[in-house]
Amino acid sequence: MSSDEMIEAGFDGMPGEVTEMGEEPEVTDEELRRQLADQLDQIVERVKASTPEYTPPAFSAHRLLSLIEQNLKRFSPEMSLAILERLRSTIGEDLFDVDTWKGIWYMVNYSLEYQGDMLKRRLTGEYETDEWGYDPEFMEAVKPFFDFMYKTYWRVETSGIENIPDEGRALLVSNHSGQLPWDGTMLGLAVYNEHPNQRLVRSLYATWFPTLPFVSAFLTRMGQALATDENGIRLLESDELVAVFPEGYKGVGKLYKERYRLARFGRGGFVRMALTTQAPIIPVSVVGAEETYISLAKADAVAKLIGFPYFPISLTFPWLGPLGFIPLPTKWYIDFGEPIPVDSYHEGAANNMMLVSQLADQVRNVVQEMIFKRLADRKSVFFG
Amino acid sequence: MAEKKVILVTGIAGYWGGQVASRLIAEAEQGPDDSAGESGDLHIIGLDIEPPKQEIKGLDFIQADIRNPLLIDLLKSEDVHTVCHLGFIDYGRPSEASFDINVMGTMKLLGACAEAGTRKVVIKSSTTVYGASPSNPGFLTEQHPLQGNRSRGYTRDMVEIEAFCNGFRRQQPEMILTIFRFPNIVGPTADTPITRFLKEPRSPVLLGFDPLMQVIHERDVVEALVYGVMNDHPGVFNVAADGILPLTKLMSLAGKLPIPVFHLFAYWGMDLLGSTGMNDGRYIPIELDYLRYPWVADLTRMHNELDFIPRYTADETLYEFAGQQRLRHYVPETDALAYDEERLHDTIERRRRAKERQKANAARMAEEDVDNEQR
Repeated sequence: MSSDEMIEAGFDGMPGEVTEMGEEPEVTDEELRRQLADQLDQIVERVKASTPEYTPPAFSAHRLLSLIEQNLKRFSPEMSLAILERLRSTIGEDLFDVDTWKGIWYMVNYSLEYQGDMLKRRLTGEYETDEWGYDPEFMEAVKPFFDFMYKTYWRVETSGIENIPDEGRALLVSNHSGQLPWDGTMLGLAVYNEHPNQRLVRSLYATWFPTLPFVSAFLTRMGQALATDENGIRLLESDELVAVFPEGYKGVGKLYKERYRLARFGRGGFVRMALTTQAPIIPVSVVGAEETYISLAKADAVAKLIGFPYFPISLTFPWLGPLGFIPLPTKWYIDFGEPIPVDSYHEGAANNMMLVSQLADQVRNVVQEMIFKRLADRKSVFFG
Repeated sequence: MAEKKVILVTGIAGYWGGQVASRLIAEAEQGPDDSAGESGDLHIIGLDIEPPKQEIKGLDFIQADIRNPLLIDLLKSEDVHTVCHLGFIDYGRPSEASFDINVMGTMKLLGACAEAGTRKVVIKSSTTVYGASPSNPGFLTEQHPLQGNRSRGYTRDMVEIEAFCNGFRRQQPEMILTIFRFPNIVGPTADTPITRFLKEPRSPVLLGFDPLMQVIHERDVVEALVYGVMNDHPGVFNVAADGILPLTKLMSLAGKLPIPVFHLFAYWGMDLLGSTGMNDGRYIPIELDYLRYPWVADLTRMHNELDFIPRYTADETLYEFAGQQRLRHYVPETDALAYDEERLHDTIERRRRAKERQKANAARMAEEDVDNEQR
């Protein structure tokens, strides 16, 4: 309890001493203090602006102490001793004025309240999801990891983000590569991070993924949907940004020696979606994902046995077990091409198979050209 | 006064039959005062092989099996206008007995209706007939092929019945055949797979799967069926409450903590239980596929053509259910007591009315006697 008395003593003595200390020659310390207080104030202001309805309990020394005491109980004895000693030394120097303490009081209360509140809401089901299962809170929770992959690991560089409309429907058509659907994730993140309106991309995924545990729940919570004509048309009709990977398994399970050569573009289902909903097609090329896993062969027998659409044998997989899932840190480029408008076609164009397959080939050529252009410019797989 | 419209409700001894019949009788007593169209002036006949456990006031009960060949004569002689078919049974695993009652019974009933010239048939079905599958689109429209899981008797029978109804509709274009497909029915009194699932002390979910679910309140199911009886809407309609929620959210709202089980173990366990004959829908009342893959129905037709809006949203339904479950710990007897009180009240009323009638009768007789004597 002696530490508590120390805290109280230091705290009580503070307001008067601060003004006296200001006249002493320790100017640098004083400035540091002021800077710290200013920064804290700014954070408090920002939080206040974002959640105006939150008001902490009134500030008092006694409450602060009990709050500290409560939270100290959560640590191990050594930890709490260390924390208390640190606190004692800080207060011994009599660093802060009362406003700073108020700021700290606010922040500690806010974060405790917010986290406790969030946990409670998740347990009682008081969170919102849209009709496709998109859960913004979940997205915020997992985003830091994917941001790390995006910014630090693969150092994704984008171009042509202005080709994506600020609002309204559009269909992103991209090449597919890299054994695991990292490219879809990065494409979605690229639009979310770089586009001024932070638009959510609804990727259409293959039938295999909903059968996999965690992947299934994850995709639903991220607001993605299964690749069917009905889903694509419904999403586009509600003016969403939809991304498709028409190569499908043939693209994502490509061998290393076939890299960057586009497979067949499905059966042209994406063109039918675009024609039905009059959504412009935006070709997208992802370069760098092909080299994340170096797939040397495909074990079709194994794939058939475990019900997977393909089973890659790479340099590291399956030899290293779970380590084989770690992708190589290549340098990525995601380019968004000029939109291809389809509104000049008449109503029933979606049923014209000739037109559909022609358009599918045309889009495929555009994406292939974009890839080749980027490959010609690229000097190194890892450094760009 | 115009002739009374006769409505026959099958499965009157079951929960849905009793609820719908009571609701229709209330509608008839209320009279044609509101905008409910041609309401009022209804005569409700209840049909089942056993009398309803709780007496339904104002119901004309007839004890018969729907597979009885004399049903045609009954429909003809009573001049039945509408049949509301709710006499389905759920034995858990598929069995010949349930197939005979559900599928053969419906076929015979529909045949009799066509023969007797019944105007309308309303059938309660389920969105489980679509089947839960990884290749399902996000929203299943009424035209989607029916691929319901065939390891549960009720679902298998419903798929059969719906397939039969599809053909029957083409053969009998002048008959109004309305089928409502409901998702998980949740409510304080109904006993359905999902309420059994949510009442279990430990409800398993599949680890890493969180499919989107739809629910509907039990009262909205009754309202929808009555709406179908009172209005003419031929065709198949998905009817569900507003709001689509992930399974984990559904369980949290209902006050349950999900217990995740790795899906392969869960399937093996179910197979094991099934092969030993122990699993009759008691352990996991819902087929595992329906906890794994999405089976969300599209409500466009309900909004645009049926023009029926369920009164409870999904969240409200589950809140109410959770509240009721919590309350059950404290006052398990209230329902029984309230019901008993109501029944006694009715009995007293009935006896009083009977006495009055008797008295009036006696008085009239006396008067007649006097008249006769005077003559």
